[in-house]
Amino acid sequence: MLWLVVFLVVAVVVQARQTSAIATAGRYRKLREERTALEAERAALERQIHIATSRRVLGERAEKELGLIQPADSQFTVFPLDPAPR
Amino acid sequence: MARPTARITLIEVVLGLGMLAVLVRAAELQLVEGGKWRAEAEQARQERRVLEARRGGIYDRNGVPLAVTQEYFHVGIAPNELRDLPGDGKVVARALGMPLPSVMRDLRTKKWVAYRGPFSGLQIQPLREIRGVHLDGEFARHAPSGSLASAVIGALKPDSAKGASGIELALNDVLTGTPGLAVLLKDRAGRRYDSPSRLQREPVPGKDVYLTIDAELQEIAERALDEAMTRYEASGGDIVILDPHTGELLALASRKTVDGRLVANRATFFTDPFEPGSTAKLFTAAGLLARQRVKPGDAVPVTDGQLVMQVNSRGATRTITDAHKTNGNITLAEAIKISSNVAMALFSSRLTAVEQFESLRDFGFGSPTGVEFPSETRGVLRMPDKWDGYSKASIAMGYEIQVTPVQLATAYASIANDGILLTPTLVKEIRSPGGRVEYAHQPEPVRRAVSPAVAHTLRDYLRSVLEEGGTAEGARLSNYSLAGKTGTAVKAVGKGYVQGRYTASFAAIFPADDPQLVVVVKIDDPRGAHYGGETAAPLTRSMLEEALAARQSAIDRLRLVEPAGAEPGVAAGAPRPVEREEPPEQRTVVVLPVSSAQPARTRTLVPGVAGGSIRRAANALHRRGFRVAVYGHGKVTRTTPAAGDSASVGSLVSVWAE
Repeated sequence: MLWLVVFLVVAVVVQARQTSAIATAGRYRKLREERTALEAERAALERQIHIATSRRVLGERAEKELGLIQPADSQFTVFPLDPAPR
Repeated sequence: MARPTARITLIEVVLGLGMLAVLVRAAELQLVEGGKWRAEAEQARQERRVLEARRGGIYDRNGVPLAVTQEYFHVGIAPNELRDLPGDGKVVARALGMPLPSVMRDLRTKKWVAYRGPFSGLQIQPLREIRGVHLDGEFARHAPSGSLASAVIGALKPDSAKGASGIELALNDVLTGTPGLAVLLKDRAGRRYDSPSRLQREPVPGKDVYLTIDAELQEIAERALDEAMTRYEASGGDIVILDPHTGELLALASRKTVDGRLVANRATFFTDPFEPGSTAKLFTAAGLLARQRVKPGDAVPVTDGQLVMQVNSRGATRTITDAHKTNGNITLAEAIKISSNVAMALFSSRLTAVEQFESLRDFGFGSPTGVEFPSETRGVLRMPDKWDGYSKASIAMGYEIQVTPVQLATAYASIANDGILLTPTLVKEIRSPGGRVEYAHQPEPVRRAVSPAVAHTLRDYLRSVLEEGGTAEGARLSNYSLAGKTGTAVKAVGKGYVQGRYTASFAAIFPADDPQLVVVVKIDDPRGAHYGGETAAPLTRSMLEEALAARQSAIDRLRLVEPAGAEPGVAAGAPRPVEREEPPEQRTVVVLPVSSAQPARTRTLVPGVAGGSIRRAANALHRRGFRVAVYGHGKVTRTTPAAGDSASVGSLVSVWAE
């Protein structure tokens, strides 16, 4: 009789572990899918940002709409910043 | 009738035999055929699946993504499994961006609907919970920065994740990860279940490659080249920008007309050599200075900018003319400044063919630069024994020699780098998926091409080109010094030169005194203005102005600011007149590398080069800073000192070949 009890206990433990593993795997899969979607969203947004801020797009718009001109090297000055903390 | 005892015995024997048969069969099933049945049972319950590893990303030097791998999906739909066909159809059409009537027609008429896409994870997210929708994921390459630097990055093979060209091919092994392995559980209905405990091997993503390319500078170069193509109605062009102190290629842009269509994905800066014209005059000048064949006051007569030159003993002649005509005697410095063909032809007669060849070879012409690119060409520099009577003059003017834009930039970089030729590179770092730096580029000296004094003199010559009367006067910057050389070469088509078709070029060092960038601009077949000084040089200036004004760029602007004690109002790199012509120095071999960042090595191991070609051996030895003397032809048999022995950097290694 004892062996039957032992067998049932072991079977229940195995079953519980398997059920838990499958549930965890399901959660893991969902998280992976979410990550994939977020990565895709990030890539799409990065691409949009890159195109929108590129010289080809932003530069041309600024030139046309705001009258931006590319400054000659004589038209700007480089100031060295004091490296000491303020 | 037998006695009961006998009958019982018979029954026992039969039962015994039966039990024995069962035992034997059980033993056979478990012991003999056990493996087979276990495997069959596992196959029925489990499924092995290879988990594809994500390919490493390619980034610019500041981490801007240029090529990354992302998971994409193909969508399959079994209409008979859908719970709410009209509702699910709407979700599918909206998610995939397809017309609703078309999707509904497919769902109503087909047993299996396949939309190949590929669709991003974001697109298919709403479809994940719909019963009857089956998603098939795969990794695909994605360029977040669009076509930026696409010629350098290259592409993957269409049917696999292996590199087909560019960096994708050159560093395929680094970028490719190690696939993982998982076991899925299957029930009697064939449904599959993930189980973390069944993951046998995690996939290991590929390593990330950080290029030396600066995305901002690359964009400036590509935009400038596009504008030049339109303005000059050119058939193609290249722009190369590199850091002369490290050999790092910061921007590489190319445009080429193929079958009447302009394309931007050909790495012509590595693969298409051209006759450089006057931009190569500097290297014959370097040979003259290094061998002290020209003294500071030496001048040659350039009567009306025309020279009739006898090219063989039978009296055949060739006429050399100058585009910028002048009269009287001019020095080597003036010959570079006004780009006099006549003067260079006359000066070149002071070098032997071998000396002129060696001078050009020292700057890397005729050999691949060694950059990490799979299809680099070596250009054309014929051996001196193949030269005819006109070749010395012709090569001094930049003809009969073909160089790639990258070779030309590398050679100019050696002048900016006090005479040391470095191997150009495209790879700044390689990082593990965890972000650990596994490789970081260090400057790789190839050889000393000229002494620091000669390099300094050459930079003075180049500076004069942008001064009043120079061929690139119009490209001068107001506040910063620029040094450079223009080139306008008549194009060779087939076996002859075609008047009216030109390659305009400009090679520049910025700033001239404390060089940070070397820029080479080449424009093919410009219409209207065709001189390098009218086309490529102004383009260089506008690129530099744009880079100087850019929010982020590879230019260290602090180094451009006037140092303490400098004359007020004068920037550190401000133009200064050429005050004197440095006396040419005796050419010497120095210990390599000569860099404040890298301590000089006194001794190093002689590499094993036996069995290879002489060229390969010389390349390997030069890379380690040795001088090379070759004895014999064919395959290398031995070296003195022998491979594995240490020798002083800069010392002579004899290579014996048979």
